[in-house]
Amino acid sequence: MRVLRHAVLVLLGLVWLAPTYLIVGNALRPATEYDPADAMRPPTDFALFANIGEVWERTELGPSMLSSLLYSLVSPAAAVLLGALAGYAIVVLRLRRGFLWFMIIYGGSIFPFQMLLVPLFVGYSKTPLYDARSGMILIYTAISVPLAALVMRNFFGGIAVSIFEAARMDGASTFRIFWRIYLPLSWTAMAAVFILEFTFIWNDLLFGLTLTQSESTRPVMTELSALTTDVYAGTPVPVALAAGLVVSVPTVAVFLLTQRLFTRGLTLAQV
Amino acid sequence: MPSTRLRVTALTAGAAMLALAGCSGGDSAESKSELKLYNDKGAWSSYFDQMGAQSKQEIGLSMKPVGYTDEPSYTAFIKASFRTKVKPDLFTWQTGGRLEEIVRQNQVAETTDLWKQAIASGDLTQQLAKYYTIDGKQYCVPLNTAYWGMFYNKKIFAQHKLEPPKTWNDLMAIAETLKSKGQVPFHHTTPTSLFSFVWFEQLLAGTDPDLYERLGTGKASFTDPGVVRVMEQWKSMIDKGWFSNPGDKNDPADHFKSGKAAMVSSGTWFNTSMTQRGLKQGTDYGFFFIPNVNPALPRRSLIFESGPLCSLRRAPDREASMKYLKWWITPSAQEKWANSRGDVSGNPKVKVADPELSRITQEAADQQNRLVLRFFEAVPAPVLTAALDGLSGFLVKPDSYRKVLETIQKANEQYWKNAGS
Amino acid sequence: MTAQNTLLRKAAPGDTGPRGPGARRPGRGFALFGRFRPAFVSPAVLLVAVLLYLPFVWTAWLSLTRYDGLGSPEFIGLDNYTRLLDDPALGTSIRNTLLWVLGTTVLPVGLGLLVAVLSYDVKGGGWYRLPFLLPYAMSGAGLGLVWGFILQPEGVANRFLGFLGMPGADTAFLSDGPENTIAMIVVWTWQQLGVNMLLFVVGLQSIPRAPIEAARIDGASGWRLFRHVIWPLMRPLTTVVFGLALVASLKTFDIVWVMTQGGPGRTSETLAVTMYRDVFVADEYGYGSAVAVLLTTVTGLASYLYMRRQIGKEDR
Repeated sequence: MRVLRHAVLVLLGLVWLAPTYLIVGNALRPATEYDPADAMRPPTDFALFANIGEVWERTELGPSMLSSLLYSLVSPAAAVLLGALAGYAIVVLRLRRGFLWFMIIYGGSIFPFQMLLVPLFVGYSKTPLYDARSGMILIYTAISVPLAALVMRNFFGGIAVSIFEAARMDGASTFRIFWRIYLPLSWTAMAAVFILEFTFIWNDLLFGLTLTQSESTRPVMTELSALTTDVYAGTPVPVALAAGLVVSVPTVAVFLLTQRLFTRGLTLAQV
Repeated sequence: MPSTRLRVTALTAGAAMLALAGCSGGDSAESKSELKLYNDKGAWSSYFDQMGAQSKQEIGLSMKPVGYTDEPSYTAFIKASFRTKVKPDLFTWQTGGRLEEIVRQNQVAETTDLWKQAIASGDLTQQLAKYYTIDGKQYCVPLNTAYWGMFYNKKIFAQHKLEPPKTWNDLMAIAETLKSKGQVPFHHTTPTSLFSFVWFEQLLAGTDPDLYERLGTGKASFTDPGVVRVMEQWKSMIDKGWFSNPGDKNDPADHFKSGKAAMVSSGTWFNTSMTQRGLKQGTDYGFFFIPNVNPALPRRSLIFESGPLCSLRRAPDREASMKYLKWWITPSAQEKWANSRGDVSGNPKVKVADPELSRITQEAADQQNRLVLRFFEAVPAPVLTAALDGLSGFLVKPDSYRKVLETIQKANEQYWKNAGS
Repeated sequence: MTAQNTLLRKAAPGDTGPRGPGARRPGRGFALFGRFRPAFVSPAVLLVAVLLYLPFVWTAWLSLTRYDGLGSPEFIGLDNYTRLLDDPALGTSIRNTLLWVLGTTVLPVGLGLLVAVLSYDVKGGGWYRLPFLLPYAMSGAGLGLVWGFILQPEGVANRFLGFLGMPGADTAFLSDGPENTIAMIVVWTWQQLGVNMLLFVVGLQSIPRAPIEAARIDGASGWRLFRHVIWPLMRPLTTVVFGLALVASLKTFDIVWVMTQGGPGRTSETLAVTMYRDVFVADEYGYGSAVAVLLTTVTGLASYLYMRRQIGKEDR
């Protein structure tokens, strides 16, 4: 049985790696050597840095990556905090009509984002929020809160009430119990939400396009999409792929780093 | 317990302060030295930057592009911006119905005087002015002008001892020859449905350009016999296997380079795609204007696209914007613009660096050509959408051409009915 | 049991009532700090209400008008909605959206669960999971390009099918519906399996050992162990995964827009794509808003029903 298990995992893994190989392999290829009929052949020349250089020249990847980093770190963190606060109140403090409040918050996830673009733009333009980093952080937080609330609510729901009662008997305030006990207990759930939202916000395009215009506030995907979606650009495929890889470095790094944190942090629960 | 309440209030207050304090990028100065040029050609950002540097030298105004890459959301964004205080200094747009609708809203700055001067000095042509005129006045200036024609693979042509065609029959003979030798003659279309109209417009404009223009003004129907015949001709070419597979999502330039298709019909800006793939004009590829299908026509139909560069009546700094528009059409600006992108210019006085491109520019300015506006700008937006959908469906199912035309005609009728009311 | 165990023991299956020793008495002790509870939820509610709900209210109002983005909207009552009923493209759109919901539940979620179950307690499991995480972590930029290449008429996919001797080796994957939707679901699966797998792994690794050991001692193993002990214990996470997948699949937009833009001939549109197209491409803000309202209503209803069912199983 064990052998079968490993075999299936390996087989599936290889199938999954094939397209990744195509992306990486062709990103390494020199721009002038790409042939769609032959894309599976391993590259003979290493031109990744040349391709990346092309990308750097044509776009303003630098400042936009910094902006995106800011948004992707701050907004999920804020959302997780707000979601945890809400989940705590609903499940642990047994807020009256808790389910209703939960559905209101979680319901924020049902709206198709494209519809929000125009009204948000008009609304933002009336305030200092337009083309401002704070404006972007606010909207990104808003769209991340529903998921955070769902996960935290569920996670808190699984923690025995006796913890809360015991801490109350010790004289701790509600907020303190939240901050000192519940938050630390649930940090793996928070980390999972954080990573998901980090990736989502990092990859956002439409909000970035509509709500910002300056180099200092535009997120990274707005710069990238110019290269890849435009026939007028005429970008060779290897350059476009190289751009995609560069832009993926933070998200891949986040995933790799946190893999180990997961397995480590969860032993607490295995009594 | 006040501490909890206090903490939460402090948190919310802090957030509010952040929101108000966070301000970057937006300046509302009265007199500007740097203009923002909104455009949906995100890929041209570096070229715009070069123009910004040049304009700073020549007229003291620099320019920063704000590039969008998704055309529909760009259009919506610009339209929405009219209601806000975040108005563009300059922005690119499209001629045809789209220009008309914003002019009618009284939003666009008039440029009639600019045009008069430019035509007198030869920087712009009267033929072009037609497309920038609404109710007798001109608006905006041309951002760029590109012509459509056929790029052909010189090596393949040489291999089969072929020359660029002088007549339509020549072109058909070339296709026959290539096909019989196992080479697919024509590339069909780009990965998105955006250019599914290319062959439609080429065939129709080359058969009956008046009918083509009437389609754009709602005075003809898509189910007219002339249009149906064009579709049948297109279908027969597809049936003969002359086109590459439309399901193929690869960039046309890659097809071209790998020899999958010997010819690609595209705009002169396609040069950029070629050079980036290491292809050299003159040795690897060449360009010719496509001859009329109907040899009896007096002039050769030449499809062109011209995007306007506009400023607003209520722009943040009206004078600066106007000054910029005026500079844009001068030969020195146009020269930099055309050469940085490796494209032709609408201004025949411009010295285009590349000899082939220069030849094309001169040839296009010849009076023997009849300029025909690209389909994309020639028909109103809702009709265009229906047409693009329909034609992209036709490409994969050529037998459905009658139904496709009927569907497009329905949208056509609907639009003009509403427009009239 | 030690004090620590008491504190950390999570609800065992069957524990639908009050947890811990003693019955729940909402009155005692809770009234003291009752006033602060709203303060805990209010930041979240406020943020969501202002930035998400409010724009939607505008959209809902817009669905009762005709508007092209310039000038003022013209009120036309429910005309847009009656037009929806007659629109053939909408029918295709709804069909495709349902396909997406079904496909997403089966493929990225189902396969994700499989991989998670197979790898969560295997030594070196992290390595096995890496190939699935990479697609999710890589930005979507390469996606359209590479998969467009794989699915092209003489591409890898067809050659692969031919090699296996399977029918349909000639399929023009992206050219016709519903094959194009199915093809895109496969692409989506490639990208999204990783995230579902990750969440399931978190769920699996967080269940306490005690109930599992107890069940094993009672003789349960394999499938029965999974279905009756492990799966119920994972509920908090599975709710998240399915809830997320449900909403995301109903709102499918990005991947379709990148790969086919809803074409060719509008055969691969989903509701979100139809909405976007009507508003931004065809300039029919009113009609597109009606589609948006339709989509939101469906998503809201589905979410609510699902959540009520899941959360109703515990106590509210």
